Amino acid sequence: MTLPFLIIIPLFGAFSMPIVSLLGKKIKEYWAVIVSGATLAVSAKIFYTVWKTNEIILYTLGSDSPIGKGVKFPIRIVWEVDLFGALLALTIAFVGFLAVIYSLGYMKHDTGLEKYYTLILILELGMLGIVITGDIFNFYVFLEIMSIASYALVAFRNDTWEGIEAGIKYMFVGSLASSFILLGIALLYGQYGTLTMSYLAIKIAENPTLVAKIALAFFIGGLLFKSGAVPVHMWLADAHPAAPSSISAMLSGLVIKAGGVYAVARIVFGIFNPGLHAYLRAFNAPAVNMDVIGWVIVFFACLTLLVGNAMAVVQTDMKRLFAFSSVGQIGYILLGIGIGTLAYGTKAGELALAGAIYHIVNHALIKALLFLVAGAVIHQVGTKNLNELSGLAKKMPLTTFSFVIGAAAIIGLPPLNGFASKWIIYESSAMYNPVLAAIAVVGTVFSLAAYTRVLFTFLGRESDMIKEAKEPEKSMIIPMLILVAVIIVMGLLPWQISDKIMVPTARMLEQLNGEYIMALLKFIGGA
Amino acid sequence: MFGYWDALYFLYAFLIGLIISYLLMKWAEKVSMGTRRTGDGTKIYISGEDQDKVIPHFEHLSGYFTGRHVMWGLIRGVHRMFLVFRREHTGLLTDYVAYLLITIAIVLGALVIGG
Amino acid sequence: MIPLQFITAFLMVFMGIYAFLYKRNLIKLILALNLIDAGIHLLLISLGYRLENGILPTAPIYTGYETLKGTPMVGPIPQALVLTSIVIGVCVLSLAMALTINAYRHYGTLDVNKLRRLRG
Repeated sequence: MTLPFLIIIPLFGAFSMPIVSLLGKKIKEYWAVIVSGATLAVSAKIFYTVWKTNEIILYTLGSDSPIGKGVKFPIRIVWEVDLFGALLALTIAFVGFLAVIYSLGYMKHDTGLEKYYTLILILELGMLGIVITGDIFNFYVFLEIMSIASYALVAFRNDTWEGIEAGIKYMFVGSLASSFILLGIALLYGQYGTLTMSYLAIKIAENPTLVAKIALAFFIGGLLFKSGAVPVHMWLADAHPAAPSSISAMLSGLVIKAGGVYAVARIVFGIFNPGLHAYLRAFNAPAVNMDVIGWVIVFFACLTLLVGNAMAVVQTDMKRLFAFSSVGQIGYILLGIGIGTLAYGTKAGELALAGAIYHIVNHALIKALLFLVAGAVIHQVGTKNLNELSGLAKKMPLTTFSFVIGAAAIIGLPPLNGFASKWIIYESSAMYNPVLAAIAVVGTVFSLAAYTRVLFTFLGRESDMIKEAKEPEKSMIIPMLILVAVIIVMGLLPWQISDKIMVPTARMLEQLNGEYIMALLKFIGGA
Repeated sequence: MFGYWDALYFLYAFLIGLIISYLLMKWAEKVSMGTRRTGDGTKIYISGEDQDKVIPHFEHLSGYFTGRHVMWGLIRGVHRMFLVFRREHTGLLTDYVAYLLITIAIVLGALVIGG
Repeated sequence: MIPLQFITAFLMVFMGIYAFLYKRNLIKLILALNLIDAGIHLLLISLGYRLENGILPTAPIYTGYETLKGTPMVGPIPQALVLTSIVIGVCVLSLAMALTINAYRHYGTLDVNKLRRLRG
């Protein structure tokens, strides 16, 4: 059973870091690399197992069976990993590993590094926990672990006003959003008396109430905040540029996915929609009108992809531009999930979900690459103002090459991986409603304008600021080149990946026959 | 598959497109009104709203609008949209909280009424 | 009839939200955050309360006592949840305090409306 090691290894690594750092200056960095590398290996093993067997792994903490002694319902904490969770765990561990390697060079001049590596491992642990958990209060605990680590990391450079201000705004409003999520959990517990997601789904299907709807509204509202949808995207645009670049890569690439979009999809499909299984359909399921949820998500998605990409055009700060672009890309993912909810059970819905999942993975890789490029530029030149950065292409050719690949991929140029996922989202939204596809294309036009500006800045006339600039050291170049290689390789076989991985993942998330719920129901013996 | 009456769909789409483009043109015409510098502090009142200050040899511009006006109007409109977006990002914590509450209120309202 | 503790809990949450919208001092905002958390904790803990045959239930840690006397016990899960949530609340509180001290160092004020160099 390898699943618990996904949490144990980073947890042990994080809290042994202060002791390990006593042994020597360099050792703590190697320790962080070893721990995150081991996590990557474990997550790859779990992903391969789930993908090969196509079955949900159910793991109970502290016992063999989730059912309590003498009662007929699950009371223990359950971890439930389907293909969606395993895929995200692999992405998180991969990008986290590269961010740790990048930190070796990038954070060399900072102090308090043992705290930095502790926090980065805790951040990774929180995200991994979110994607594997099957218990809703456990989900809240991991969400808060992730959130607190990211608040602290945004304000890590506390000698600058930018980090502190962004950290305060992120932290206060983020804690309020978390409180709303906790309120939703309290309401669900009070009404149904259970915290296990799958059992909650059965209970809600048997007896849908107004309380469940109110709880769902609190979940969606709080999680839209965590994923940075418009109009609650403003903390994102402040916090992501203020963090150190390796952290920005993790925040933009992973945190808003694991803590936001993944959780929205899991709660909507795992708890409130029991699929088309006969036993669960026998009640008046689904408990909540799926059309209303779908249109709410699509509404916020359209707003997000228009405003996010449009705001990216007018920024002069490179990292702020990337952050707004992240807001825009979250819009595409939410659009995919919304259409998957609306067109549930049809071809378009499955395709939209597959596109959304594909775009989650692609955007994690691309945005991590772009923020690492921005970090390399800041590290070597010392500014992130686009007006002062013209002409970098001659001085830093490898960095510029990485940027060109990343920008082309995020706009969606054909030979790269961003094209396939965006194309699937366009196609499925056009199949459902052509107006939505038109809005999505308008968003891409803004995105193109924003990245073209940065590209022309890089290729333009040389400015005074960059006379001394040269390529960064190896530990910063290598993660960028690995990401470039992955983006190109994934771009070369888009449809194979889509058919082999993304569509089965979408099927498992969609759980037409209630597989996610049935995995637990086996233990109860009912149905 | 493709029936006789399905052709009406294209007519319908065409009519909606016509209406949208008319509204867009009207909007662009309104937005494009204003002053434009030509140098040395002279101003040309393109829309002719100020009859006394129309500059000689530019009289033909008053009261008309051309494709160029529509283009400028669209550019100015988009620019104004960006300005509005930027102004909304006030950086006040209170506003962030208010937006969070509004979002939750929208979702809650939609789910309680329609769900 | 809605029990009084539920009304109190929601009142506390709304008081916290009011403070978030209308107060400007960072310390007061931290208090507001804790007030909201406390309200939700009150809601959770009162979910575990029940009256069985007119006997007040005991806390779940006295399991031996319960079997001896035959008295009922309150729901144990809400107490575990609230304990976890209090720990999280303390983390958030201490981090918020640390950030507030740093903000005072950089801006010379605790007025949250003065912290607005990041915009646009």
